[in-house]
Amino acid sequence: MTGYFKKIALAIGFSPTSRALLKEASRLANLFRAQLILVHVGTHGSEEESKMSELIQSVDAGDLNPIVLWKEGDPVKEILQVCSTENIDLLVAGALKKENLLQNYIGTVARKIMRKANCSILMIQNPNEQAESVNNIVVNAEDSPYIEDAIKAGCYLGKMENAQWVHIARELKLLGLALSANEQCTEDEYHESMQGMVREEIDEVEKILARIPRENLKVNIKMLSGKSGYELARFAERKKAELLIVGAPARRFSLFDRVFPHDLEYIFANLPCNLLIINPRHN
Amino acid sequence: MGKLSHGDVVHLLIQLSVMLLLGRLLSESLRKFKQPAVIGEIIAGILLGPTVLGMINPEWFQALYPVPSATATVLTGIVQVAVIMLLFIAGLEVDLHIVWQQGKQAIATSLLGLIVPFSFGFVFPYLFPDFFGIADQQDKLTFTLFMGTAMAISALPVIVRILMDLNLFKSKMGMLVVTSAMIDDLIGWLIFSVILGMIGKKGESISILNTVLLTISFVAVMLTLGRGLLNRILPWINKKLAWPGGVLSISLALCFLGAAFTEYIGLHAIFGAFIIGVAFGDSKHFSERAKEIVHQFINNIFAPLFFVSIGLRVNFITNFDWGLTLAIVAIAFAGKIIGSGLGTRLGGFSWRESLAASFGMNARGAMEIILGLVALENGLINERVFVSLVIMALITSMTSGPLMKWVLKK
Repeated sequence: MTGYFKKIALAIGFSPTSRALLKEASRLANLFRAQLILVHVGTHGSEEESKMSELIQSVDAGDLNPIVLWKEGDPVKEILQVCSTENIDLLVAGALKKENLLQNYIGTVARKIMRKANCSILMIQNPNEQAESVNNIVVNAEDSPYIEDAIKAGCYLGKMENAQWVHIARELKLLGLALSANEQCTEDEYHESMQGMVREEIDEVEKILARIPRENLKVNIKMLSGKSGYELARFAERKKAELLIVGAPARRFSLFDRVFPHDLEYIFANLPCNLLIINPRHN
Repeated sequence: MGKLSHGDVVHLLIQLSVMLLLGRLLSESLRKFKQPAVIGEIIAGILLGPTVLGMINPEWFQALYPVPSATATVLTGIVQVAVIMLLFIAGLEVDLHIVWQQGKQAIATSLLGLIVPFSFGFVFPYLFPDFFGIADQQDKLTFTLFMGTAMAISALPVIVRILMDLNLFKSKMGMLVVTSAMIDDLIGWLIFSVILGMIGKKGESISILNTVLLTISFVAVMLTLGRGLLNRILPWINKKLAWPGGVLSISLALCFLGAAFTEYIGLHAIFGAFIIGVAFGDSKHFSERAKEIVHQFINNIFAPLFFVSIGLRVNFITNFDWGLTLAIVAIAFAGKIIGSGLGTRLGGFSWRESLAASFGMNARGAMEIILGLVALENGLINERVFVSLVIMALITSMTSGPLMKWVLKK
């Protein structure tokens, strides 16, 4: 897992949160022994260059020898372009917790990147220079071709960050419908079938976990039912998780998915905490 | 409120009790053969109604279910409410999240599973109107459109049950089948709502256009603004009101209100109940537990009353027509198997899996019977066609599980 992300890019401007973001990105680059690339979209002159080197020095990221890419034009397009030409494995960016209605439909830079990028993404909300300890990591074990990668990342980060718990959330799909279709059962059969459904899901997760080294990490498998995504976000909030890890969805979301939100769109629209989207597509 | 006499009250309670008891007894016997409850309930009605009891001992039948009488009126009212509630839970079952999640593939699969049976159901009665007993040639279009819809609709709970039995519910194929059935039902009820609006209008294009516009606007408003409103009030209900009492009574109150509204604007009440159900089912704040309670309450009390009542009003022997029943069963099988089979095949599954999925989708169950009954009540079909449709619904529901198993085992 150490070299899982070989190239980490940070979309960086000169905002009050830049320092905190850069600090976090450098920490991750150290953790994964990755190459750090800083992408700045905007004017490029000697003033900006000196600002950037000051920023790098101020967080002691100089040892990482970060590459700075200066781009001009549409931020979303440029950042996505860098991700694909530079073969970025993980893109780090700052994001607001929630956007207003108009922003949600039109999409801000952060959300557009989140929906369109072809690599893994870490969205940091309220970047903070004081590195917070990570107590709870929630991993979504649903609705993605990259479930195993997400769990792997969750366990690795959990170990590295000394997390108290890694919660793996799995979903009982269409539980209401399944239970009502089950009405032709006696009470015992009903409970048996319900337990069977839960057991089956836990077994699925345990099968994946058996392939992942965990050492002393405490892992909790949690069953959710209800609307996918929405319940996951509520669970992450309830657990006061610092990081939520999800596998990238099988397809890209469009405006339609925002009007009729489902799954990860609920999380994109209202981040419960920092969000890591695992997308090893080009690996 | 009106008052029933002492005798009427006793009579009504006995009627309800007999219906529930016999319905339960027969569905329990069929449970041993893994058959849906609806089949037992229909048979219970046939036994209690003019078909069996009425034939063996007409006096007893007349004594138990006299028509016309005050109890008959009340019973009709109860059954009417039961249909509305059944459509509400049918709406709850349509999970738009799963539909969006499955994306374009599910839409393509379901459209084929809809268009092919719809065209089969439309074309045959259109070509042979006399055979299908279309009395009024001017209503030919309405009748043929109805037959198309009747062939396209599916029975989601039956399908889910079969998929769970075969351990396929959560598989890729299972989700595709469930989603397609949901889309087919949604579109099927939309078309049926328009057809009901067309009855008696003899093809006046303005009023048909009016019905289409009303139907589409109602759906659009309910699934955007209505859903938004529900998403605001449901958290409040969940937090402040008693559970599950609050969510149960308010959801049913809104279901009846929606049904009353659609009936008022000229669409059928069941359509309003269905769409309100879809809006509720789509809300992230309507928990799966609440869904299950609504289901249990309606499926085990009101649904049996409704399905037993079918046999009480129609004589299944005098209205039985071998030729017509065979034709309808054949069209139903051919349409769904070809349509859904091709649709699933296009979804990237093998021919064998596609055939299995199409057998699953072939189950018509309760929805077909409700559709048929509403059509019968509105004079769209006669009792012969109705009986054939009920038999088709029973045969398709009973055979889909075993056929699916057989294909997958081969």
